[in-house]
Amino acid sequence: MRSIEARGLTKEFKVYQSRSGLTGAFRDLFNRQYRTIRAVNGIDLTIEPGEIVGYIGENGAGKSTTIKMLTGILEPTGGCLRVNGYDPHREREEFVRTIGVVFGQRSQLWWDIAVKESFRLLKKLYRLSGEGYRQHLDRLVEVLEIGPFLDQPVRKLSLGQRMRCELAAALLHQPRLLFLDEPTIGLDVLVKENIRRFLKQVNAEYGTTILLTTHDLSDIEALCSRVVMLDKGNIIYDGDLERLRTQWGDGRRLILELKEEVPSFVLNEKTRGLSVKWEGEGTRYTARLEKGTTVSDVLSRLVPAVAVQELKIEEATTEDIVRRIYREGAAHA
Amino acid sequence: MFHVKLFFHYFMQYLKIRMAYRSDFLVQLATDLLFQAVNLVFILVVFSHTTELSGWTREEVIFIYGYFLVPFSFFSAFFNLWDFNERYIIKGELDRVLTRPAHSLYQVILETMTPESLTGAVTGFMVMGWAVKEMEVDFSWYDPFLFILFVAGGAAIYAGIYILLTSISLYSDSKTDIQPIMYNVGNYGRYPINVYNRVIQLVLTWVIPFAFVGFYPASFLLDKERWMTFALLTPLVGAVWLMLGVAVWNRGIRNYRGAGN
Ligand SMILES: Nc1ncnc2c1ncn2[C@@H]1O[C@H](COP(=O)(O)OP(=O)(O)O)[C@@H](O)[C@H]1O
Ligand SMILES: [Mg+2]
Repeated sequence: MRSIEARGLTKEFKVYQSRSGLTGAFRDLFNRQYRTIRAVNGIDLTIEPGEIVGYIGENGAGKSTTIKMLTGILEPTGGCLRVNGYDPHREREEFVRTIGVVFGQRSQLWWDIAVKESFRLLKKLYRLSGEGYRQHLDRLVEVLEIGPFLDQPVRKLSLGQRMRCELAAALLHQPRLLFLDEPTIGLDVLVKENIRRFLKQVNAEYGTTILLTTHDLSDIEALCSRVVMLDKGNIIYDGDLERLRTQWGDGRRLILELKEEVPSFVLNEKTRGLSVKWEGEGTRYTARLEKGTTVSDVLSRLVPAVAVQELKIEEATTEDIVRRIYREGAAHA
Repeated sequence: MFHVKLFFHYFMQYLKIRMAYRSDFLVQLATDLLFQAVNLVFILVVFSHTTELSGWTREEVIFIYGYFLVPFSFFSAFFNLWDFNERYIIKGELDRVLTRPAHSLYQVILETMTPESLTGAVTGFMVMGWAVKEMEVDFSWYDPFLFILFVAGGAAIYAGIYILLTSISLYSDSKTDIQPIMYNVGNYGRYPINVYNRVIQLVLTWVIPFAFVGFYPASFLLDKERWMTFALLTPLVGAVWLMLGVAVWNRGIRNYRGAGN
């Protein structure tokens, strides 16, 4: 059985517009005007058990709306959808036992009660029992290092602490499929690292299928073998990350500060034959590396000739890539 | 069984939270009891000026009023849906509820219940007790059972109506002020219905049947000759309204638009 199978999955929202003034309000009563937004526009998506898939796209592309349909929160406007073999919205109560959900922007735990009480309630809700549950919980607590604040209410936790508790809560019932909507938003690098490592481990150990949305390309790099990119409700790319990067990414950017001014033709001259685009002038330059050119390729040519004061390597972010795709159009995706 | 257990666990959780702020809890409980005591005095004082109301003796009116407080307190304790729109729709807690394996309305009820509102029932019993003492009523052996059925029916009517109103938030994101209006209309069920004009009587019986919450069953309990058919309909009307409310809720969940926009 496939983890996710969607055909022509569509979600439309009616957005009501109110007319101004008293007579407007009165007319609104009987005949409200609305505009239809197609947040998700007939997407096809198939995900096999055990995959880790990154779901990316600009703000407003429709990622969260898709996740909400896949988790049974929203009823699709159109299309066919099976997740873990269920119709998520129609068979919601049965279905949600087979999935775990984490929303980075919103807590899935009860705000006022201690984390461990939240876990206890979840245990009852999911009808978990006995020894197996205890062991699994102990394991989660240990790996996520949440032991020290199990007695605190969620509202008193820092974002990073909360996120780790959310992960544990989402996995208590050992779901086959885990949805994460921006799980790393606002977290510092160390916590991000920690969470990525954990997700990888869960995937390897239990074969849990994972679908996550993120704005941080390094999340995707660390985790996902496959990326699905959404633009205005349409899937414009579905494949591995490497191909996306070579096809769309600016590649890396090498930012240089030189000891003394060097005209740009000198740099072009030195790196002839490599796929590098130079920008800048005087002592400040940015090199955009494309098509497999590495930082060391460039430096080994430059260093003998020019004195480098400082250098910085920058990754293209998902935002950069997405923005570039918008700029150049989705046509050749 | 699952639902009963779940209720129990949420209830324990509720107690724990309240106990964590023990002094708050005690203060609140004391406030509630004080409020109920003032309420009791207030009722007796207000009604002591009336001797008779459209053929009802003062004691009868007081009994009906006291009876009403019982189903009403059950309703207030377990259907505390006042800030549903704010908390579950605008703040988006309904998203969380919908990712959990239990009926969404049941979860919301468990999360928002305020069992301390049951103190209202105590006041109700005291008011009824006082009225009965003054009156000489013949109760029969089956009256306690009828009483339970009537109270359940009355609470179900209230619940059904409020669930229905609450469900409006699922269809439309605009705020409505119907709930406070309905709250006031509900108060009409506390008094003998024939003090109102014909239209209001019909409305309170067939449209928004608050008369079944207090008046019909209470007056029947006092005198088996009166309003028997209506009183015995109470559990049925309750079941119908509760089912209607839940059906509208379930439909509404299909229209739910999700948090955060
Ligand atoms: N409840 C809603 N009502 C109206 N429009 C909505 C609603 N939810 C989402 N949208 C619209 O749908 C589009 C996609 O939103 P969303 O799925 O949140 O995007 P993303 O998660 O990719 O940023 C946006 O244009 C957003 O305004
Ligand atoms: Mg989003």
